[in-house]
Amino acid sequence: MSGAPARSMLRSPFILTVGTVLTWFIAAFLVWPNANVLIETFFPDGSFSGRAAEKLFSSQRAMKSLGNSFLLAVALSVTVNVVGIFIVLVTHYFRIRGSRILFLGYATTFIYGGIVLAAGYKFIYGDKGIVTAFLLNVVPGLDPGWFSGFFAVLAVMTFATTTNHMLFVANALKGVDYQTIEAAKNLGASTWTILRRIVLPMLKPTLFAVTILSFLTGLGALSAPQVLGGRDFQTITPMILTFTNSPTSRDLAALLAVILGAATILMLAVMSRLEKGGTYFSVSKVSSALQKQKITNPAANIAVHAAAYLLFAVYTLPVILIVLFSFADGAAIQTGRLSVDSLTLDNYVRVLTQASGLRPFVISVIYSALAAVIAVGGLLLVARILQKHRNWVTALFEYLLHIPWILPSALLALGLIISYDHPNPLVGGAVLTGTTVILLIAFITVKIPFTLRMLKASFASVNSSLEEAAAIMGAKTLYVFRRVLLPLVLPAAAAIAALNFNSMLDDYDTAIFLAHPLVQPLGLVIKANTDGAEGVDGVASTFVYTVLLMVITGVTMYLVYGRSGRRRGSKGGKPRGPLAAPGTAAPAASPVVDVRDAQASAPVRVP
Amino acid sequence: MQKFKTLVAAAVAVTLLAGCGAGSAAPEASGSSSPAAASGDTLVVYTNSNGEGRGEWLTQKAAEAGFKIEIVGAGGADATNKLIAEKNNPIADVAFGLNNMYFVQIKAADAIEAYEPAWAAEVDASLGDGDDEKAYWPLVKQAILLGYNSDKITPEQAPKDWTDLWSKDEFKTRYERVTGLGTATAQLVFAGILSRYKDESGELGISDGGWKQVEQYFQNGSPAVAKTDLFARIASGEVDMGQMPSSIVAEREKSFKVNVETVVPSVGVPLAVEQVALVKGTDKKEQAQKFIDWFGSAEVQGEWAQQFNSMPANKVAAAKAKPEVLEFFDGLKQQDIDWNFVQENMGSWVEKIELEYMT
Repeated sequence: MSGAPARSMLRSPFILTVGTVLTWFIAAFLVWPNANVLIETFFPDGSFSGRAAEKLFSSQRAMKSLGNSFLLAVALSVTVNVVGIFIVLVTHYFRIRGSRILFLGYATTFIYGGIVLAAGYKFIYGDKGIVTAFLLNVVPGLDPGWFSGFFAVLAVMTFATTTNHMLFVANALKGVDYQTIEAAKNLGASTWTILRRIVLPMLKPTLFAVTILSFLTGLGALSAPQVLGGRDFQTITPMILTFTNSPTSRDLAALLAVILGAATILMLAVMSRLEKGGTYFSVSKVSSALQKQKITNPAANIAVHAAAYLLFAVYTLPVILIVLFSFADGAAIQTGRLSVDSLTLDNYVRVLTQASGLRPFVISVIYSALAAVIAVGGLLLVARILQKHRNWVTALFEYLLHIPWILPSALLALGLIISYDHPNPLVGGAVLTGTTVILLIAFITVKIPFTLRMLKASFASVNSSLEEAAAIMGAKTLYVFRRVLLPLVLPAAAAIAALNFNSMLDDYDTAIFLAHPLVQPLGLVIKANTDGAEGVDGVASTFVYTVLLMVITGVTMYLVYGRSGRRRGSKGGKPRGPLAAPGTAAPAASPVVDVRDAQASAPVRVP
Repeated sequence: MQKFKTLVAAAVAVTLLAGCGAGSAAPEASGSSSPAAASGDTLVVYTNSNGEGRGEWLTQKAAEAGFKIEIVGAGGADATNKLIAEKNNPIADVAFGLNNMYFVQIKAADAIEAYEPAWAAEVDASLGDGDDEKAYWPLVKQAILLGYNSDKITPEQAPKDWTDLWSKDEFKTRYERVTGLGTATAQLVFAGILSRYKDESGELGISDGGWKQVEQYFQNGSPAVAKTDLFARIASGEVDMGQMPSSIVAEREKSFKVNVETVVPSVGVPLAVEQVALVKGTDKKEQAQKFIDWFGSAEVQGEWAQQFNSMPANKVAAAKAKPEVLEFFDGLKQQDIDWNFVQENMGSWVEKIELEYMT
């Protein structure tokens, strides 16, 4: 693009200030540490060798695992969309009996994940699982180990990662103008046609954004393949982790990470491209809120109800079993045999009466909350500028801010250590290692790409005429930002902050390298109690910690959504539901997404 | 208003976090009154041996002896990488629990400092640092074993050596094989197998025959399952045998209600020795040395052995080890392994195995 807009940006003191801070932050915490660690990795003695590439490309296992990771990423991009759109429609679009209950079931993915989730599915569908036992009665010749390999991994990961759909697509759906739907109905369009030709096209920008996230999840898959992949379906992440830990093989880890990173960036570019080609517009200037649709065809209605409740069972059974098993002893967990009389509170007593007590929980909550608030708060300004001004400078900044998506967190942490273990002018001559700040910095940087993508999208959905009106009436840039824009994107920002917060609570990879020895977060304590020799108590403790984390994340999600949902609901008439935004009763922005907007992924819409 | 609330929340949080950090400073100031501690500083101790209550036990015992310590737990590889990465501005004062393979890397990176503890004469020096300037000292002996389900397999039927697992048909599907070489135990198993095939002209110092064994190991066997202990799989009958460090056997047998016997091949079993070392560049050197003198002493190591079923390297402490542990180590033949050769090559071996043989 031309340089003119870039030059014009320099005239705004607001942009200059934000730009200066941003430039410093990117240089100090994204570029410099990671450049250091990559240089040390690829040029150990000052000269480059093609060793890593040669080794990797001649390794059958590496290539197969890499292929599996890509296969999973592509497949997941499709399946998560199918399941995700379905559950969003049954909870928010169609009139389904008990949709509130269904919502709670589908929302269980908000609060847990990782290895315990995979284990939960194994309790049910594994060779000793209840569903398998049932199936064996029905189909005598069935292989008890039927639930393994690519299919099992894909299924579990699909059901586990619809969180973004439930949050962002559901919100976008609320912004769809009901008058358009009514008009189509009057013209005789069927439910299916309306869905296909009106509703889904309007969701496209959001769907593109969550598709990128699904792709990324598939590429980075770790625990589901380890638990359910079996011999034939292992992914590349375990190999990356092993090589990251071995100084002599770290170049292989870095190269693999860069390959995955490049694929992610490519996906980003493809999605932006696809978006550019489409037109997402509304015909009405005064939009009205969506009303739930009845499925008129009785057979279809029954089928959709059945599928919705089947999915509900699929989502909730693992959670129930995980909570139950957290009261059982480790041997019962690992052999998958549960008897009611063996359930005791011993595990909870053991975990909660440790000498360290609740301190690690408090430390983790504070660190995660600080990092979530700072990342979202800081990027609010940045995302706004990047979304409003499109030129080569902002494009460059945007790509640089995606660096943390490329490298594994252990490498990011090592980069910070080797860059700031001596007085460094970039941070005013301070030494950061051994302080409490360095882990906070790492937490913030890790969350930047996700936060930026989602915030930028939510700004894109704000009707620019509001801002223009305020500016014409003489409001200053910051005033407009504070009083006009911020209230509109705040619900989205809160959602992003909550997700960030939840995801950092049990972090181990970063904390292990950067935590202050006297301020150790939860992840390290969990590791000490659950790892090493995966003994009896260790596995039981994993379940206890998972349930405790479920409680914390559940409370977080309730604070962000549950209460605002009630407030919103009490105003009457408007669409209810836990995801409704607080205090934005006036339908300020019509559901128009600017056609010219190249990055218009609008995950969170303000109605 | 919303923003104001956020700001207040953030300010409160910052204060709290600072409080956590400052919490360390406060005892430092007042700690000078404690008897044994000259400086009263909190010693930061890195270890991979803090699980199953070890960390808390040690913190408490140390406090009784007048040492205020803070344990930072990490896996062996993580702790090693952390110590090396922090060498310019060390945070730890003492590191223990890692075996010689890890400590030789740390020493090569110049992150630990030579020191002769008060109990140096009570341990077999050959178990520790092989150099003249000794930086790490042995604490606990751990045998890396092949164990089998003795309820199902008699000693006569049992394999006689690792190589039987893949060369005899009856074991081919019955042993658990690793799915990653990230753990010390797995690396030591391969050190034990590969060092039998040392060949200067072979790839990475190993003959083709040696690599053939590795290939066979991975072509057969039942892959380990994440978060499912080998003993759980033995209990459920999925597999009958696999690798295990000696210290866990007794406790796991009880928890999973299985009986396990171990194989001692004619060449002997690899011995992993957990070590302790002084971190280079610590500003609490004197205090850290006193801690090492205390921790490695016969008395403390003896109690540790009682508490955690370990086999102390300290010969005086060995008398206090549990009888069954003593008995086991008494008749145990140690495999003669050239550790320098292993340490030089382990990184490349792991890489080659991960890339070429693991499936």
